[in-house]
Amino acid sequence: MKRRNTFSINDNVDLLVEILGRLDGRSLGVAACVCKLWSSVCRRDSVWEALCNRHVAGGGGGPGTRSVVAALGGYRRLYRLCVGPVLDRLAGGPGRAGWAPTREEAAHLSLSLSLSLFSIDCYERLGGSRQRPASLLFLCKSVNVS
Amino acid sequence: MMSGGKGKMMGMEDEDGGVDELLAALGYKVRASDMADVAQKLEQLEMAMTSSAAQDDAFLSHLASDTVHYNPSDLSTWLESMLSELNTPPPPLPSAPIPNHRSNQFELPPPPAAAIPAPILDPGECSTVTTVDFPTPGRQSEYDLKLIPAVPGRVVYGSEPPAEENARDRKRMRTSSSSSSTSRGGIGVGVGGMGSAMPAATEASSVAAGAATGALPVVVVDSQEAGIRLVHTLMHCAEAVQQENLKAAGVLVKQITMLAASQGGAMRKVAGYFAEALARRIYRVHPQQDCSLDSAFSDILEMHFYESCPYLKFAHFTANQAILEAFAGCRRVHVIDFSMKQGMQWPALMQALALRPGGPPSLRLTGIGPPQTDNTDALQQVGWKLAQLADTIHVDFQYRGYVANSLADLEPCMFEAEASGNGNAGADEDPEVVAVNSVFELHRLLARPGALEKVLGTVRAVRPRIVTVVEQEANHNAGSFLERFTEALHYYSTMFDSLEGGGTAAAAAAEAAVGASVGQQDLVMSEVYLGRQICNVVPCEGTERTERHETLGQWRGRMTRAGFEPVHLGSNAFKQASMLLALFAGGDGYCVEEKEGCLTLGWHTRPLIATSAWRVAAASDALPAVAR
Repeated sequence: MKRRNTFSINDNVDLLVEILGRLDGRSLGVAACVCKLWSSVCRRDSVWEALCNRHVAGGGGGPGTRSVVAALGGYRRLYRLCVGPVLDRLAGGPGRAGWAPTREEAAHLSLSLSLSLFSIDCYERLGGSRQRPASLLFLCKSVNVS
Repeated sequence: MMSGGKGKMMGMEDEDGGVDELLAALGYKVRASDMADVAQKLEQLEMAMTSSAAQDDAFLSHLASDTVHYNPSDLSTWLESMLSELNTPPPPLPSAPIPNHRSNQFELPPPPAAAIPAPILDPGECSTVTTVDFPTPGRQSEYDLKLIPAVPGRVVYGSEPPAEENARDRKRMRTSSSSSSTSRGGIGVGVGGMGSAMPAATEASSVAAGAATGALPVVVVDSQEAGIRLVHTLMHCAEAVQQENLKAAGVLVKQITMLAASQGGAMRKVAGYFAEALARRIYRVHPQQDCSLDSAFSDILEMHFYESCPYLKFAHFTANQAILEAFAGCRRVHVIDFSMKQGMQWPALMQALALRPGGPPSLRLTGIGPPQTDNTDALQQVGWKLAQLADTIHVDFQYRGYVANSLADLEPCMFEAEASGNGNAGADEDPEVVAVNSVFELHRLLARPGALEKVLGTVRAVRPRIVTVVEQEANHNAGSFLERFTEALHYYSTMFDSLEGGGTAAAAAAEAAVGASVGQQDLVMSEVYLGRQICNVVPCEGTERTERHETLGQWRGRMTRAGFEPVHLGSNAFKQASMLLALFAGGDGYCVEEKEGCLTLGWHTRPLIATSAWRVAAASDALPAVAR
C-alpha cells in the first residue's frame, strides 16, 4: 500500500522557487549546494532579482531594468558584487547622524547605489584587462577581527 | 626679571655638534643632551627668585645693581653661576620612568595632588616620561604641584596655574582630540588651533630661554616633544622662508626631516611632503614638468586615489545626481566634461539614464583632456570604452574628445552638434540639453589672469541647463606665503588623516592589514597624489602654481559674478552621498554636510571637498566680465 502523502519538494519546482526566493543571499548559497535541482534553481537570475528588489518600493524596475541589469552581468552578479556587501556594511552600523532612512528608502538607495557601482565595475572590465578592476575593492574588504 | 632672559636673535646659527639648533637660532648655546638639566636649573632659579620677596630682597637688588654678568649665551654655565651665587643647594631630583600609556583618546586626567603624570601619549610614540619631583625643603606648602596638560604629548608642571589658562589649554586639547585620529602626535593642536597653539609652543622654547611668563613657571619634563617641535619647526621654517631668511630655513628643513623620522603614521608623511616642498622653495628646485609622462602618471595616481577613499566617488555621485535631475524629461542630452581623465564618472550616469522611467535619452559626451605626446590617444580610448558600455545597455551614445592645453583654449563653437546625416540642423529634433561638469579643474585656471572668466564665458555661451563644479574646500590662493602654508598644512593633515583612518586596509579594531597588498598600494599612491599637490601649493608661484584651491564661498562669488545662479542639490544627492560614505570601512570619520544647497564631504568636521551646481542666471544678457 502506497503511503498517501509522499510529498517531495523537488517534484514541485515552482513551489521550490517560491520558497527559495525568500531566502537571503547567504542561505541561497547554502541551498545551492543541496542537489542539482536546487543548484539550478538558485542560479536563476529571477531568484536573485527578487532578492535585490526585496523591500524596494514598487518591487523593482520591471523589464527595462531587467534588461539593463542582464546586460551588465545579471542580478546574481549584482548581488554578489554590490548589493550583498552594501547591505552587510549598512547592517553593521547605526544610521548616520541627521538621517535615518525608512526600510523602503534604504532598500531603494542601496539598490540604486549598487547599480551605479556595478556599472562602474562593468566599465572597468571592458576594453582589455590591463588592470584589475578595483573600484569595488572598498566594499569587499570586510574585516572585523573583534 | 632675569637678565638676558628675553630671546635675542643673534642672527647666527651655531652648528657645533650636539647643540640644539632651535635655541642656537635664538642665540643660546645649549647642548641637546643638557636640555632637561638646563630646564631644571632655570626652574630652580625662578623658584628662588620669585619666592617670598622679603627674604630675597637683598639678593634681587644685588642682581639689579650688579653690572657683572656672565655671558648668558652658554646657558648651562650661566645658570650654574647664578645658582651658586644664590647659595641654594639644588633639591634632590629623583627620576622615575613611567610606562607609556597607550591611549587613543586625549583624555585629560584630573589634576592630582601628587606629582604623577598620566602621560597623554599616542600609540606609536614610544617613550618614558621622566617625572621630576620638587620636594623643596621648607617650601612644600607653597608649591602645590599640579598637572597642567598644556599640549598633548607633553606633561608640564607648574604651580598655581591661572584658571583661564587651564581652560584655554583644555579647550585646545579638545580641539585636538576631535580632529586627530589615533596615530598622530600633536598635529591637531599645532595646526587646528594655530592661533592659540603658537604661544604655547613659543612658550616652550622661551622657557628654556628663561622667559617664563606670569606666575606660571613651567618646565617641560617629558622627552617626547618631537611632535610639537615638528609642527613648531615647520611653522618657523615657513616664517623664515617668508622673510627670505633662506639660511635659517635650510637649517630648519633638515630639522624637520629629522623630527619627522621620529613620528609615525600620517604625521610623518605630511611632514615629509611639506619638508620636501619647503626644500624645493628654498633651493629653487623646479623640476621640469614632463608633460607626456605627467598626465599618464597623474591619471594612474588619480585612479588609486579614486579607489582608496571616497572623495572622487562622492564628487561623481553628487554631480551625477544633479545632472540626472536636470535632464529629467529630456530626449537629447549633451554632457561636456572638463575633467575626462578615465571617464569613471559616466558609467553610473549612463546606467541611471538607462533605467529612468521613460527610457534613456540620446546621450552625447564631449570630453576635454590634456595633450599626450606619446602615441596613445587616451581620450579616444576612454570614449571607446564608454561607447561599448553604452551599447551594452542600449543607450544611444556619441562621443567627442578635445585635447586642450588649457580650458581657456575652448570655444563655444566646438560644442555644437554635428549636423551629420540629418540634413536639417536639428530643427525638428528635440533640443539638446547641455550639462557642464568640472571636477577639480577650475582652480587651475586661476593661475593665469582672465582664464577663468573666459572659460565661464564659454560655458555660458553653450547655454547649459546645469553646471556642476567640485572643488577642494580650502583657501590656498590668497594671502601671504605663510598663510597659504598654514592653511595647506591643516588641509593636507586632515586629508592624510582620513586616508589613514578611513583606509581600506584596516577595520577599526584590526591592526593587521588583510588582503593589504592592493589596499596598501592604493594608499601609498594616493599619498603620492596628494604629495604632488603639496609640492605645487607650497613652492611654486605664478603660472607654475596650478593648485590654487579656493573655498566654496569664494567660488560662489566667482560664479555669481560670471552670471550664474546656484541650483540646490536635492535631498536625494545628500542621501545617496551619506549612504556611500557609510560603505567605506572606517567611514565614521567622514561627514557629509549641506551648506546652502551645496554638499561638502569632510573628515571630522573639517570639510575637504565641496560640490555645487549652477545654472545661467535669468537676467544675465549683459554682464560685465570682472577681471580678477
